[in-house]
Amino acid sequence: MGGVTTLDRPAVLTIVRDRLADILEVEPSSIAEGASFVDDLDADSLALIELVEALEEEVGRTVPGFHIDDEDLQDLKTVRDAVDYVTAKL
Amino acid sequence: MAELPLPIALDVMGGDNAPSQILDGARQAVAAGIPVTLVGRSADVGDTFGLDLFEASQVIAMDDDPAKSVRTMKDSSLVRAAELVRDGKASAFLSAGNTGATMASALLRMGRIKGVSRPAIATPIPVPGCTPTVLLDAGANAECTADFLIQFAQMGSVYACHRFGIAHPRVGLLSIGEEDGKGNALAKEVNAMLRAGAAGPNVLFIGNVEGRDIMSNDVDVVVTDGFTGNVVLKTLEGGMKFFAGKIFEAFLANEETKAAAKVLLPALMPLTEALDPNTYGGAMLLGVDGVAIISHGSSNATAVLNACKVARDMVQGELVQALRLAVAPQ
Repeated sequence: MGGVTTLDRPAVLTIVRDRLADILEVEPSSIAEGASFVDDLDADSLALIELVEALEEEVGRTVPGFHIDDEDLQDLKTVRDAVDYVTAKL
Repeated sequence: MAELPLPIALDVMGGDNAPSQILDGARQAVAAGIPVTLVGRSADVGDTFGLDLFEASQVIAMDDDPAKSVRTMKDSSLVRAAELVRDGKASAFLSAGNTGATMASALLRMGRIKGVSRPAIATPIPVPGCTPTVLLDAGANAECTADFLIQFAQMGSVYACHRFGIAHPRVGLLSIGEEDGKGNALAKEVNAMLRAGAAGPNVLFIGNVEGRDIMSNDVDVVVTDGFTGNVVLKTLEGGMKFFAGKIFEAFLANEETKAAAKVLLPALMPLTEALDPNTYGGAMLLGVDGVAIISHGSSNATAVLNACKVARDMVQGELVQALRLAVAPQ
């Protein structure tokens, strides 16, 4: 299977958008980078956990052992926060 | 009825009466020809009387935070049971444990049916003398959009058909008046969408219903948001418990009423059985990619047996496939 072998910030943004779109049943293009998970996207806590697990799985394919710390979740309020967080951990 | 090809993954650690009553229910299910795999901590379960046990070292408590516990307790009986379904080793997932964690486990491990925005908890509300009314959402989603409720109408209709054999379930929207214009903003919006056919031709929308209609023969499926649905469910449970308690109190008041009770109690037994939540086994989590049953925390062995029967029937009746078709774009 082909796939991403290296991840940069635009690639991470695409992953976050795509996974979030799957979870929220919306179009990826409707998810703005500055969108708030709760206020703009109506994502509940379970949807955010789905996102976290999906990111760990997908990013983990390129970066084995990639993990999002639970205590950091409260700081991830927007799509941008999530993208910056993941990018910084690569 | 043909045997299930795969066992039901039963969280033997979940519930107020776990593991003893859960194990007893599992033994009865196996005796009835329903294969079951227990999931839990062998040291707590003890003798399984020959039933298979999948070892899981952790237990999510009834008051643990649902999402967090599922994420941090990956070797819990709840998470492992859901994984058995995901991995094709079990046909259904059943727990009487922490409701939120059961839902989170099912959602995170089994996934959602493609197209489903939010899974909903569908609870049968007993209606003595006729088929139960399916109430959804009974607590999975406190905050709902109109689109969620349209899907609840679709999924509830399919479930009432599969579970209770109702060919064309009558679907009502819970509101504070029967007229279309009654209700809060969400109810008005959903009413207008359902009237316009947003749920598709297979949903027989009969308009708004009120709380008093739920335990009547006027409606088969009642759709509402998870906050309201859970309040309704708990209010009904509390009201029925209070009422039953007062009846028995009156029966025991004096010798004369005790004598009357001897005559009346046999006549009341069918009603008691019809209203007993153990009779129905549990609520179905609709929208996840597999059969997942959330049983009452106080489930006894009978409830577990009945829930296993429901799980078997829903697997064999291909409920999930029917739901998949129901929520597919029209």
